[in-house]
Amino acid sequence: MKKNGAFNLVDPTTQPLVASFNVAPRLMDIRGKRIGLIDDSKTNARELLEDLATILEDRYETSVALYHRKPSASKPADPQVVGQIAEECDGAIVAVGD
Amino acid sequence: MTAGLGSLVQAQWNDPVEAVEQCYALGWTDGLPVVPPTVQRVEEFLAVGQRPADEVIGGLPERRREVTVGKVAANAVMAGCQPEYFPVVLATAEAMLDPAFNLIGPSSSLGGAGILVIVNGPVVPALGINSRNNLFGPGNRANSTIGRAVRLILMNTCAAIPGLFDRTILGHPGKFSYCIAENEAGTHWTPHHVERGLKQGDSAVTVFACEGPRQVRSSNRPQTMLYATADVISSLGTSMASVGSVGDTSEVLRQGEVAIVFAGTSDVWEDWTKDDVRRYLHPRLKRSLADLKRAGALDGSITDRDEDEFLQLILSPEDIMLVFAGGAEDSHMAVIPSWGPKVSSTSVTRRIHWPPP
Repeated sequence: MKKNGAFNLVDPTTQPLVASFNVAPRLMDIRGKRIGLIDDSKTNARELLEDLATILEDRYETSVALYHRKPSASKPADPQVVGQIAEECDGAIVAVGD
Repeated sequence: MTAGLGSLVQAQWNDPVEAVEQCYALGWTDGLPVVPPTVQRVEEFLAVGQRPADEVIGGLPERRREVTVGKVAANAVMAGCQPEYFPVVLATAEAMLDPAFNLIGPSSSLGGAGILVIVNGPVVPALGINSRNNLFGPGNRANSTIGRAVRLILMNTCAAIPGLFDRTILGHPGKFSYCIAENEAGTHWTPHHVERGLKQGDSAVTVFACEGPRQVRSSNRPQTMLYATADVISSLGTSMASVGSVGDTSEVLRQGEVAIVFAGTSDVWEDWTKDDVRRYLHPRLKRSLADLKRAGALDGSITDRDEDEFLQLILSPEDIMLVFAGGAEDSHMAVIPSWGPKVSSTSVTRRIHWPPP
């Protein structure tokens, strides 16, 4: 048997490739803002978001500018909808129901 | 020559046990010992595939990962594959990375999908991929290692690591290895890959995110066998009869798929085609709204009408995959429900570049 063998191994793993991006400015106050809601389509996501929207409307006079229900929790939000949120909303809330 | 292989790890060992232990220490295994992916061995695989090591075959954008030919080769080596198996493993990886398969779902979900690999075509006898007795069991290198390579690729290149991004609650043994082939020589039925649009002489692989196989025993008479099979497919509690698949059928592709493996002899089915089988099964793959509510798949209280109103668990006959495989001694079947609705993951068939260039 070969003694003290040195070997080069191919690393079978990958590392995340994270492109740089700019974070949108954070909302410092949500009073009167237009909110977008994204529902992951799992059980209770809609109920959670609707209750939250009511609370925000009552307390902060926010309005729901857009509601998007994903076709599956496993799928990303439709990029067109994400673009629309950027155009039409001041902020967005994503609910993960289950 | 190590071009395109990505980062290398220097290792030193005096005996095989040390080599295996180093791979454990590097966190590269599925819990079983692996073959160390030495540059030399990985290059033997790449020589068969004749594709550049740094060629990106797809990725998982949600985890910011890209998968290259070289990484697939390294994992195939570790799984214990022979170099000749590499075209099958590569086609399998490409199929899993097809957007329709939506790998992020079955590689992370609580539902614990295994990825069933179904191989068809001339590659099956050429590589000795088992399509007969002990179909889902151990004992055959090609099936065991090709299926195992799938899991290592998921864990190592897609970060589907148990406890990290793989959040499976139970899972099943098919998550270690889940590779079968169709016994095309043993049946008059149209091979699975030909039903999916490929040619008879093509070799192909189908990937299917699914639960474990449930055996069905009945008789050697087609109607009784299919009646029992339909009952198993329509049972409550599978993913196909859960809220994710039937809770909101207003959207397209909401229901799941099912694969059925037929063992036994082909002459039992001499008067039947695969489409005949689908025509018999499809209308029976349903459940009453009342039952779905009793089992918690649908919300709401049960009305009188719910006893007589049925919901189709498999929407289209095409969503029933039929594979002839297994031992010839008796007509057993295996029912394999999808992990989720088609909108979350749809089975994908890809041609294998076989024979290799």
